[in-house]
Amino acid sequence: MAGYQLRTLVIEPKRNTFDYLVERFGDRPASRYQEGSYNVQPVANFHYRPTWDADREIYDPNYTALKLTDPYAYKDPRQFYYTPYVADAAQRWEAFAQTLKYVEDRRLLDKMPENWHAFLTGFVLPLRHYESGAQLISSNASRFAWGTTVSQPMAFASFDRIGNAQMLSLIGLAMAGGAADTLTEAKKNWLYSAQLQGLRKFVEELFAEPDWAVSLIALDLADVQLYPVLYTHTDERALVRGATAYSLFASHFNGWFAGHRRWLTALLKAWSEDPQHGESNRKVLGDIVDRWYPQACAAVRLLAEGVAEAAGSTTLIAAADRAAAESAGELSRYGIRVSAGPGAGS
Amino acid sequence: MSTAGKVRPVGVDLQDSEDTHALVEAIEADNPAAEVVHMPGLIRVTVVGELVIRRDSVTERMGRDWETHEFQLNIVSYFGTIAEWDDDKIIIKWEH
Repeated sequence: MAGYQLRTLVIEPKRNTFDYLVERFGDRPASRYQEGSYNVQPVANFHYRPTWDADREIYDPNYTALKLTDPYAYKDPRQFYYTPYVADAAQRWEAFAQTLKYVEDRRLLDKMPENWHAFLTGFVLPLRHYESGAQLISSNASRFAWGTTVSQPMAFASFDRIGNAQMLSLIGLAMAGGAADTLTEAKKNWLYSAQLQGLRKFVEELFAEPDWAVSLIALDLADVQLYPVLYTHTDERALVRGATAYSLFASHFNGWFAGHRRWLTALLKAWSEDPQHGESNRKVLGDIVDRWYPQACAAVRLLAEGVAEAAGSTTLIAAADRAAAESAGELSRYGIRVSAGPGAGS
Repeated sequence: MSTAGKVRPVGVDLQDSEDTHALVEAIEADNPAAEVVHMPGLIRVTVVGELVIRRDSVTERMGRDWETHEFQLNIVSYFGTIAEWDDDKIIIKWEH
């Protein structure tokens, strides 16, 4: 006697995905990241020329000296498109809110040693203006970059940067019991404290840089020194010095920075190893580093000296020097020469 | 039906989702003989002999850290025996 047999009727989709994805990845269903990122960049039929730039189209690979033979050869290693990016950002924000509540409930900020208050108000909280500058630089890069896989992580980075600035603001508000006093003082420090002027000048000069990639890379040269000094090194010091609140906050900035650098280092690698433009890219990258690395080192060191003086840190200057050396080491791994020493720009 | 002397296929049925696509890509890369059939809502991967899923391969394609226990979230059914399931890899094959 014949039994029942369950059968599935498979209806083959007429096509798996867009033709250009089939060409690139083979005839198979594409991921959302691929569908939302590849070949999305408008490349033709630009009706309106920019009134402010006679030599270039509104979207043009020539807004930077750094070129990729195929911009879509680069992909964000995190494969962030809108949905996973938003989910990730929401999760980080939620975690930060929990930390903030924990710190406030236990009045951990009040229990921080006095010099840590000076450190926060004098050097960390003013950096919300640095983060805000970083947002402008990132969103400018995203606007002028060529190829959606390239411009996309920059847009997300700009959102993250304003998020970082907001996190710093929330810490400042918590320090003043909800009032803006600490933030007002922090802004004064950003504008007038001699120790912060190097960094402020650095980030503000990047606004005027016409090549978006130059400002993006130069910003990173400062980031890779600032983040380890202010959030990694100091996180460890905070734990032994009884500034638990700072350590809790710092872990969020550390975590973000590690993820942030994944797409950026992959891009540096793509530029320097490009089959057609690799050599000229390495030269351009070398020139960018020549010009901005010494200034980044000087700006971060100036801040570190300020912390040493104002908050009595004995280890921060050494940490800054270490971070500068590590940054140079990383660049040389990508084949980018670092000929100028940290002292050259000061 | 006798299967003696024949190398039998093993396979997994996975729920069709974004994560699964990365997983299937990793399985295809690590098992060159893998056959992939897309069904409505499901993806069936079949390999003759042995099927291996490596954490590193999946992590690389998914763009985030992936742990082998997360495989539970994708799997609907499988045939073969789970011969090994540790932090680094999962191996499915017939053991007898």
